[in-house]
Amino acid sequence: MNKEEFISSGLLELYAMGICSPEETKTVEDFLLQYPEVRAELNEIEISLEKYAQANSIHPSSSVKEKVFNEIFPDSSKLDISAPVVPITKSYSGSRFYKLVAAAVFVLLIGSLVLNYSYYEKYHEAQNGLDVALQRVEQQSKKNEAMSTDLDVVTNKFTLPVVLKGTEKSPDAVAKIFWIKNTGQVYVDPTNLPQVPAGKQYQLWAIVDGKPVDAGMIETSNGTYHIQKMKSFGKADAFAITLEKTGGSPSPTMDQMVVFSKM
Amino acid sequence: MTESTKYREEDLIILLRSGERPAFEYLYDNYSGALFGIIFKMINDQHLAEDVLQEAFVKIWNNFSAYDATKGRLFTWMVNLTRNLTIDTIRSKAYKKQTKIQNSDIAVSYVTNNINESERFDTLGLRNQVKLLKEDQKQIIDLAYFDGFTQEEISKKLGIPLGTVKTRMRAAISVLKKLLVSQN
Repeated sequence: MNKEEFISSGLLELYAMGICSPEETKTVEDFLLQYPEVRAELNEIEISLEKYAQANSIHPSSSVKEKVFNEIFPDSSKLDISAPVVPITKSYSGSRFYKLVAAAVFVLLIGSLVLNYSYYEKYHEAQNGLDVALQRVEQQSKKNEAMSTDLDVVTNKFTLPVVLKGTEKSPDAVAKIFWIKNTGQVYVDPTNLPQVPAGKQYQLWAIVDGKPVDAGMIETSNGTYHIQKMKSFGKADAFAITLEKTGGSPSPTMDQMVVFSKM
Repeated sequence: MTESTKYREEDLIILLRSGERPAFEYLYDNYSGALFGIIFKMINDQHLAEDVLQEAFVKIWNNFSAYDATKGRLFTWMVNLTRNLTIDTIRSKAYKKQTKIQNSDIAVSYVTNNINESERFDTLGLRNQVKLLKEDQKQIIDLAYFDGFTQEEISKKLGIPLGTVKTRMRAAISVLKKLLVSQN
């Protein structure tokens, strides 16, 4: 590998991000020692990543700085201990005083236990509330992700949309196929298929060279009818969806075909 | 930009080698936010992330002699040290016990809450430029830089061959480079 090939290989970028294998790291370090151009290129990559990190910076609490510096420079931040120590000379006598102190301590202890309990309860409530909120956020973000996948498939410039029309058995049914031509990936949008009867599931078929080939099962549980990825096909003459028993069949039940379209 | 002192990297390294406290304060003030951003994205728990940040800076100070300028810039070394420390923390038993729920909303509100603090770096311009990255470019950079993914993990996650990880990363970073060229 000459230095130009090396620079364009992408290894320097991975090195700057700290994700090179030990062998790759060795290669990079050899090139760095040999070629100033390689070093200059790495420097630029590192500066970009440094700015990227700055652009994503978040300020920690100011107490962190204090803790760091107290740990590193303990002498300068220690309290002044040179002040004279004044001995406590005054002493109390009499058991009555100690009894009072003991009683006060006991009352405080009980009070503290009660407070502890009540705070513990509140803490639990707050924790539960937080858990619920976090779960909701997670569900929402899953939903968002699913929707953005839908959108990606639909807006991909290589996508060939195909409408599968209802057969005589179910004239109202419609389904859409999104066939991404450059990768062969097939997505199906089952939103307008009729409700699935219990124990049944829709199965997608691709007709290749006149023979039906299983293209995967369509997930319609929980009432979620999202665009979903099926098996990939480089070529197909037609697509069809049949209603099969849950889990699918090795070959399509022809009289249960709901939608169909030739390419 | 309130601070007038700005060290050249070579000078800063010399001062740090000789144990100068002001140099280390400069290092902290200028880079704690960037490092914390990385830790927080990986850990998503403010207190724990701050503990890791503290540990990272103490380690940077104590291990400074291990930094070798012929192998890369100071910040790169600091990021790698910090990221490894964060990954160790995530793999530790104590962390695993906690329920780990990814919650980017917390991160967002946390950023907004802290945005008014005076920033030595003028990051506003940077933030705007970075927004111009395409989603797939941002994703591959973030997987490595903010999630600590290995090449294999990235290849698996994106469903692309290992070799393609390298070329895609290079392409993404070269776009980043162009976007940031005007930002000093």
